[in-house]
Amino acid sequence: MLSDLAQRALDRAGLGPIRDKVLARERLTDDEALRLFEAKDLAALGALANHVREQRHGDLAFYNRNVHLNFTNVCVASCKFCSFARPDDKAASEGYTMSLDEAVEHVLSKRGLGITEVHIVNGLHPDLPWEFYLEVPRRIHAAWPELRIKGYTAVEIHFFAEKFAKSYEQVLRELQAAGVETLPGGGAEIFASRVRRKICDDKATAEQWLEVHRVAHRLGMKTNATMLYGTIERLEERVDHMARLRALQDETSGFQVFIPLAFHPEHNMIGKAFPKPTGFDGLRTYAVARLYLDNFDHLKAYWVMLGERLAQTALSFGVDDLDGTVLEERIYHMAGAKTPQALSEGQLHRLIRAAGRVPAERDSLYNVLRVHAAPVAA
Amino acid sequence: MPKLRAAAVSFLNARPLTAGLEGSDRVELVLAEPSRCAAMLEAGEVEVALLPVGGLVGKEYEIVPGIAIGSDGPVTTVLLAGEQSPVVWDEVFLDTASRTSQLLSKVVLAERGVHPRFTPLPALDGLARAKGTKGALVIGDRGFDVHANHVLDLGREWTQLTGVPMVYALWAAKPGVLAPEDVAELARAAHAGLGMRTELAQAFAKERGGDPERYRRYLTQRIRYGLGPYELQGLEAFVERVAKHGFAPPTTLRFADDHVRTRRVRRQVSLDTALQKGADGERLDADEAELLDEKAPLLELGLAADARRRALHTDGVVTYIVSRNVNYTNVCTTACHFCAFYRPRGHQEAYVLSREVLAKKIEETLALGGIELLLQGGLHPDLGVEWYEDLFRWVKSTYPTINLHALSPEEIWHIARTSQIGLDEAIDRLVAAGLDSIPGGGAEILDDEVRRRIAPLKCSSDEWLTVMRAAHRKGLRSTGTMMFGVGEDAGHRTRHLLRLRELQDETAGFTAFICWTFQPEHTRLAPGDNSAHAYLRENAIARLVLDNVPNLQASWVTMGGGVAQAALHMGCNDFGQVMIEENVVSAAGTTFNMDAEEVERHIRGAGFVPARRNMRYDRLGPVKAA
Repeated sequence: MLSDLAQRALDRAGLGPIRDKVLARERLTDDEALRLFEAKDLAALGALANHVREQRHGDLAFYNRNVHLNFTNVCVASCKFCSFARPDDKAASEGYTMSLDEAVEHVLSKRGLGITEVHIVNGLHPDLPWEFYLEVPRRIHAAWPELRIKGYTAVEIHFFAEKFAKSYEQVLRELQAAGVETLPGGGAEIFASRVRRKICDDKATAEQWLEVHRVAHRLGMKTNATMLYGTIERLEERVDHMARLRALQDETSGFQVFIPLAFHPEHNMIGKAFPKPTGFDGLRTYAVARLYLDNFDHLKAYWVMLGERLAQTALSFGVDDLDGTVLEERIYHMAGAKTPQALSEGQLHRLIRAAGRVPAERDSLYNVLRVHAAPVAA
Repeated sequence: MPKLRAAAVSFLNARPLTAGLEGSDRVELVLAEPSRCAAMLEAGEVEVALLPVGGLVGKEYEIVPGIAIGSDGPVTTVLLAGEQSPVVWDEVFLDTASRTSQLLSKVVLAERGVHPRFTPLPALDGLARAKGTKGALVIGDRGFDVHANHVLDLGREWTQLTGVPMVYALWAAKPGVLAPEDVAELARAAHAGLGMRTELAQAFAKERGGDPERYRRYLTQRIRYGLGPYELQGLEAFVERVAKHGFAPPTTLRFADDHVRTRRVRRQVSLDTALQKGADGERLDADEAELLDEKAPLLELGLAADARRRALHTDGVVTYIVSRNVNYTNVCTTACHFCAFYRPRGHQEAYVLSREVLAKKIEETLALGGIELLLQGGLHPDLGVEWYEDLFRWVKSTYPTINLHALSPEEIWHIARTSQIGLDEAIDRLVAAGLDSIPGGGAEILDDEVRRRIAPLKCSSDEWLTVMRAAHRKGLRSTGTMMFGVGEDAGHRTRHLLRLRELQDETAGFTAFICWTFQPEHTRLAPGDNSAHAYLRENAIARLVLDNVPNLQASWVTMGGGVAQAALHMGCNDFGQVMIEENVVSAAGTTFNMDAEEVERHIRGAGFVPARRNMRYDRLGPVKAA
């Protein structure tokens, strides 16, 4: 039930017809998504998104315990929003590439910490052999079979296919056989070609990104989807981005979660021209996504990017997932993220509870591992 | 009426708490050894005792809130001494005078893995026999004279072990014995006594010899007299560890004012009704306000507050001010537990700003388009009203256009007291010298139950409101503030808002309300819920309850721009202050412009039109459309 206060606020904001469609569980059009973006009536928008969020997930707020593995930051692409990539391995450029042993040990050394997932994302390295990309998950999987491996973005998959002359399907099948279970959602940025040409014109196109996920879904892999907002895109282009994801999801049902990512302006090529999007922009983006993406089960606020305070607030604006107690995040921290490198499970619980939600630990596939209904002793 | 009998030790460290009781018409002081104080309380020979915490364990006494004798690090007067290192001790002679120190010795040694035999023995005998593998406990003023090869300061050991202070003694009574007036009298005496520490040190030196300066430092720097959340952590840790090692049974801590809280019977009210009333601008009563605080979901509060904000501020403008915060001194006598800023007089980091420095700051402010000087400082014991008059006259004659927004109620109260003039006279003189308006800081939570715990030496809620009332009546305008997330409950927060509302009905002197959460980073005081979610809820509640306060500021300084933007959609209509900071100004003038730009970008980004304002919320210049 939407409260009278919310009903009236939505009427006043001219969102009454959209509200009625949402309450009748009808799909919103692209125009309607745009109207929600432009409404600038944050409390009303939030109330509607929160209504949908609570219909789906009640008070549960999901998180997982994961470790990030970024085994190289050397990258042949030149995305203008990126602070992580380096042109080569030379110390002067702060480039690095872990050896196979280092990469595997980076993950295996985290045993005993209750971690259930490793998240592997890297630069597009010009020289690493295909076997390396297979051997990393293979060895991790052999040594730690319970750990679920979420590995390589669609942009990396596309890069592998071109570089090693394989089809997407071949690449994905070999990775699956090596223990990779799901794909992260990175590299989607904004699908619109106008934007892509300007900010990342030398990596996988929108069509290629979507095709990788389509193939992965067909092979039974679950995947995630992101959207980088706050660079040069227009609101219409955000809606277009979500529209393409919604269409593919209708076809495959393979996406687990949608993850909007705010552009971080420090140490990259376009930071001077574009300030970091404000928190308001983040909150309305979550809310619109929750209302528009009716076939996505989960909506994630990545706290590393957003900061703990906004991430907590986002739990009232449609978000049901806060990512995890991330160990050793590099990509956003190199772009100036001021958040801690990791939140303890207790800190995450406190943050979730203070927002009136119930913490639920999930695994890579969004299976609930445990619901922490009562406070645990710190 | 018979006087309340209060037992206390004659140790130097107790004197600041007891000296103020001399001549009390409510309390009669009985001096005794620590263990004897406990016995007299148990036997009913006295109603209240300065009880060593060892006397508290396993008992059901009520603690007088806010006051204690403790240390956060070395204490000097609770020592283990011996010829050889404690690790080789096989026997320790325990001074029979204090059970607390005995327990503390046992806990500290046990946690270091030392398990000697403990033998009770009077202190002087023990010290004489502390040779070879024997050690001895020495407590009280004898500690000043101990010279041994190996000395363990148990205050230091405890704090190193636990990271929290040690509490040695506190006022305690049997349940239900103390009236609120008794508690107030003990607090008054403590306040008075703490102001006489220099004199008490001198008297003590005359009495038993020794260096008065050393005693003064002991009273002002070694011993902590507050019992705030930080000290409470220490107290709880002590009770827990004593029980963990099996030295005494577990104990639940009770406070003399606990029962007061449960007395009020609440009326049944409906959440929806309360929200709707608030949204419509109808006055909420205490039960409704408290219910909103306890139960209402964030977005429902936000929607109601947003409706209210739209009714009060119809044109979609969000204001901000360009002003400069200057703290003229960091010397302060109140030692609040949440404060990381203050320094005692004579500390190497203590300062009082010179005119030259101040002139430079004001000129920079004016050059950057600032219109206001927000001047606040600690409660400096040496600065009388004349000092402020001179300062204000100089500021206003040199820089006639600047708004002098200065002195929180606490400071005005302090100036009146220090100069021994009435409050009215103090305000009149400050206004005549150039004071334009006053900031609303230092309100914290206007509920003495909370204040006594977090800021026992600060002015009371009544005093704070009295100064505000007097200032408003003389035509001064002020803001009203609240700092929460210090472990208070919904009832405390509600009472705070209602007291502000009540005064506002009377004076209409508050231009705005500002709340922020306690920032624990530099203080080690454990926070309550100080999350962004709590912050947004409290702002919305304030918008609904404070129906007579026109403006609400969003605090981007503490919460960040994004949460502050959300607050603009949940009751706030002002984005606070573009602050000109020391380092920012010296770096380059452009940084400040960026900051004003950034404030405007956030206001626009949230869907509002930015406008600069002055302290009275008059808009300055034409409003630029988005």
